[in-house]
Amino acid sequence: MRAFLRRPIVRRFFMIGAAMAALEVMTGPPGSTEAPTAGFAGSFTQPSPFFGLFSTVRWVVFLFLAVVIWAIVTLWSIQGAAIKRSVTTVTAVPRAATQRKSVRRGLGVVLLIVALILPHVITDPFWQAAMVEQIAVYVLLAMGLNVVVGFAGLLDLGFVAFYAIGAYTTAWVTGALPTPPLFGVDLNPFFAIPIAIAIAMLSGVLLGAPTLRLRGDYLAIVTLGFGEIITIFANNLYGITGGSQGTGVIPHPSIDLGPLHYVWGLTPVPYYYLTIVFVVIFLIAFSLLEHSRVGRAWTAIREDEVAAESVGINPLKYKVMAFAIGASTAGFAGVVTASQSNNIFPSSFTLFFSINILVLVIFGGMGSIAGVVLGAVLIQTVSMYLLHSPPAGYQSADLYIYLGALLILMMIFRPVGVLPSRRRKREIGLAESGEGHMDEVLTGDTP
Amino acid sequence: MKLRLNKTVAAAASSALLLMAVPAIGLASQSGAAAKPTYVIGYEGPLSGGNQQLGLNMVFAVQLAINQANASGKLPFKLRIATYDDQGDPTISPTQAQAAVANKKLVAIVGPAFSGATAAAEPYYHKAHIATVSPSATRVSLASSGWNNFFRVVADDGVQGPADANYIVKKKGIKSVYVVNDGTAYGAGLASAFATTASADGATVTPATVPGTSQCQNGTASATQYTAAATQVVASGAKAMFYGGYYCDLGLFLGALASAGYTGTVMSGDGSLSPALIQGTTPASAANGVLLTCACASSTNPKFNKAYQGLAHFSAANATYAPESYDATNAIINAMKHLKKITRAGIVAELHKLTFKGMTKIVKFQKDGNIAGSAIFVNQVKNGKIVQLGLE
Amino acid sequence: MGAFGHYLASHFTTLQKEFWYLLVGGVANGFLYGMVAVGYTLVYGVLRLINFAHSEIFMSGGFAGYFLMKALVGTTVPSGLSSIGLIGLGIVAGGLVGALVATALERVAYRPLRKRNAPKLAYLISAIGASYFMFNLAGKEFGRYSVSVPQPYINHAVFHVFGAPVLMYDIIIFVSGLIMLFALDRIVATTKLGRSVRAVAQDAETASLMGVNIDRTIALTFVIGGALGGAAGFLFGLGTGVVYTMGFTPALKAFTAAVLGGIGNLRGAMIGGLLLGIVESLSVVFVQAAYIDVVAFGILVAVLLFRPTGILGERLGRAA
Repeated sequence: MRAFLRRPIVRRFFMIGAAMAALEVMTGPPGSTEAPTAGFAGSFTQPSPFFGLFSTVRWVVFLFLAVVIWAIVTLWSIQGAAIKRSVTTVTAVPRAATQRKSVRRGLGVVLLIVALILPHVITDPFWQAAMVEQIAVYVLLAMGLNVVVGFAGLLDLGFVAFYAIGAYTTAWVTGALPTPPLFGVDLNPFFAIPIAIAIAMLSGVLLGAPTLRLRGDYLAIVTLGFGEIITIFANNLYGITGGSQGTGVIPHPSIDLGPLHYVWGLTPVPYYYLTIVFVVIFLIAFSLLEHSRVGRAWTAIREDEVAAESVGINPLKYKVMAFAIGASTAGFAGVVTASQSNNIFPSSFTLFFSINILVLVIFGGMGSIAGVVLGAVLIQTVSMYLLHSPPAGYQSADLYIYLGALLILMMIFRPVGVLPSRRRKREIGLAESGEGHMDEVLTGDTP
Repeated sequence: MKLRLNKTVAAAASSALLLMAVPAIGLASQSGAAAKPTYVIGYEGPLSGGNQQLGLNMVFAVQLAINQANASGKLPFKLRIATYDDQGDPTISPTQAQAAVANKKLVAIVGPAFSGATAAAEPYYHKAHIATVSPSATRVSLASSGWNNFFRVVADDGVQGPADANYIVKKKGIKSVYVVNDGTAYGAGLASAFATTASADGATVTPATVPGTSQCQNGTASATQYTAAATQVVASGAKAMFYGGYYCDLGLFLGALASAGYTGTVMSGDGSLSPALIQGTTPASAANGVLLTCACASSTNPKFNKAYQGLAHFSAANATYAPESYDATNAIINAMKHLKKITRAGIVAELHKLTFKGMTKIVKFQKDGNIAGSAIFVNQVKNGKIVQLGLE
Repeated sequence: MGAFGHYLASHFTTLQKEFWYLLVGGVANGFLYGMVAVGYTLVYGVLRLINFAHSEIFMSGGFAGYFLMKALVGTTVPSGLSSIGLIGLGIVAGGLVGALVATALERVAYRPLRKRNAPKLAYLISAIGASYFMFNLAGKEFGRYSVSVPQPYINHAVFHVFGAPVLMYDIIIFVSGLIMLFALDRIVATTKLGRSVRAVAQDAETASLMGVNIDRTIALTFVIGGALGGAAGFLFGLGTGVVYTMGFTPALKAFTAAVLGGIGNLRGAMIGGLLLGIVESLSVVFVQAAYIDVVAFGILVAVLLFRPTGILGERLGRAA
């Protein structure tokens, strides 16, 4: 009996069964403190159509799914190598093509054109607003965090702090705070861009210079604390930030250059184009950065800090640089959010937010610019869809159950993300086979 | 205001919400034969997430008012509800507001429910000339932001805070008050309004910020802070404590105050007016005697209560802001009745002129959209139940 | 300077008045922090990683205790022996569920990564994922509202220290905290299991060559840390009620305490917990309550920067 249970094929069935049971509870009805088992019980016993064929109860459907998945996985483990080979032969040509620079550029241009005509195809105002506030801004943030987590290999859990700094700087410069504006006059939000970027970058340096010496897991906690502290200050310094009541009204940006005159207003589409312009600028800047001397230094530090140091790279300098660049991107995203919404509140800048951005980066692929953009667009679109038309029994807070599960699954099955960077993929492979020291700097295994 | 309310049967309520949407749509399509035009009244508020119960309280009252108006047969049009879930979150409400504006049949909004969400969404409604009648957004500054389409059927924090202060200092004759705010937009606003009037009334005021806890999702503070905070209240020698904040944190605070041996009067506002306050207080007896004030009345109208229970499958008695939502919806319907040609801007103009007898009060708006008159009701926890004592 | 001197003087007068009140509360919180902190320290000792999901072990212990107390405590408040029995049962229930959740966590979120020799960043991310998954699932299943736990005792002042009342709840925490921490200290110092934990902490490879079963040792470390975390969750819930987000802040504080005492060092975690609890409680006199967290994080950052090995140093491997 024991031997039977230990056979891989049997163990696999139980594992898949357990995963499906977990999924069943995740998607099932909610319970309450009065009826703590109602959610669990209902998850298994509630009636459910069997793929539109006949009606049955939930556990039958999920058991069926478990068996199907088990069968597929088992088949794969027997015939997988052969299937993989044939798939590789079929995809070899397109795969090789995507590695050519010209093809990649062409693909990028096509995607950009798609992004540009999108607001004319999707005219639903909910989605038009979501495209700016919940997708484009998140793409920016994910790209920024990618520099910190993906390029330099530093886990930053307080990324939201820099976003808040950018947003509050915008409010300050435009005269929406109780404190007098920076230059004594209320400026156009466009002028906030360089100032917010500079202040966010400076705070990145100020936070990073002392703390980036710490090993990775300590760094994670310190950054988390920094994020909380910024929110606490924003929430309590009434005379400076407006406190929990939020800021005053932040004006919309406008251009007034002789004949060229334009005011951004409440409609989201002009903001969408404005944000796209900056996304493209950051995208180009980051890909240049990745292949520059700085990018190579990051890779070297990430792979083996001691070796990097011995060839004359100052790890702290490059880590601080990554931190500052990530921070300034978040600061810029803060400007976009602040000038687009009318006022901002400290309660918008929470730890949840930082984790949310982290999920986008991990899902897309740490260190892969294309990956994090894709990750941000995909996950944010799905979460907005769930807000717009929630399926029965779904509550908005459930999103975090799925995101949490997604993080674990990614780490178990595909730590490199859906669209991995080649370099990162190789490093993780090396680390797992016992060569290389990837990320050990992060935990201080090396003295 | 913003409020986190008690669970009840959220599951049953959600499914009831789904069920009721079906007949509503059915009705609308049948009525097409009678060639009556159909208009949509929107509701914006938290229909999911931690504040879901409050949104459910309201949305059933809106639906009830609409059903009754349709059933009366006196209307030259048909009404339908559309719901916009903003989770009470100011970062989501603009997105939902833009979706509401785009709904061509939508003529007015009941809501938004929360002050922060209102401030963020109102520019969009204002631009589209959509009247918004909020049953619960009590932040003072909302009425002075230049939005002529903004209305509310409750008194604001600027009325409630001073009324509470007068009650404690003048009516109860207590001359030393410890005023706590929880650092949230709602709590801080209410506490500061209270403190100003209490000082003016001649009381000694000790203000303090005791931030909301992660336990209650009103902040990130640790729930263990209340031991020290309660010690400070006792040490101050204040005969009364006013708490600007929500029921969950107040519950933790009350437990600590009882342990510290505090015997003074404790008062709090509508954010704490929930049966969950008693559930969350350790021991529950520590909640006895607490005064809870609200610009809202608990429903004593049996006809409304019965109809509400039939629709929502939970009792109207504890459904905070359900009566106000009912009045807000009826205000819009009454304004529509007076119009020959129904337009969004027409409803805004008509609401400014409107006077009608609602369930909780005579509904008449001031120029800035605030309700005329300022009824604040005071409730007290007695033997583990919240009892309405009457007008403040 | 004069103004600052006046500020200090006036606050020290307040401190004198309230010192004993605040100290009693601070020590009680400190014990709770300490009990959670040893969970971080144990796991750190053997795996060299911060178990970000420890907060949810704490939370699950709180809920286990809540459901048990709700079932057992009737309308009349028990007293005497039945009080002690109920509290003991609650601690056991919290500990059992905590250990169970910790085991599941190790199995699902950590072991697959360990088998693959994954980079440490992967563990951190997997742990964050597990934490989010667990507490939000708890929110879905048990509601998102804080509920108080029926207390199986009357929370009266048992005796006074310089005028400051020491409540029944404080005594329960002192006594059970002392018993559990002492037991743990002895287990790690003297038993065979303790020896293998220390061996793995010192040098996992050598330990495995010497016949220590690494998988089993790691699993047992999670069980012990989880049991203490869960029991602490029950005790915490008894005083403040339970809700799905209850783990976040206490666990963060406990982590600070673990670092303060020297992560990986058992006694350090206990001392760090007490110290943090007391400092936090007393700091109320000097800063607005809103900034207590700022003080706690300030301490954390200062310790990490100036003495990253903590007060007692990191040395689970060397001696317990």
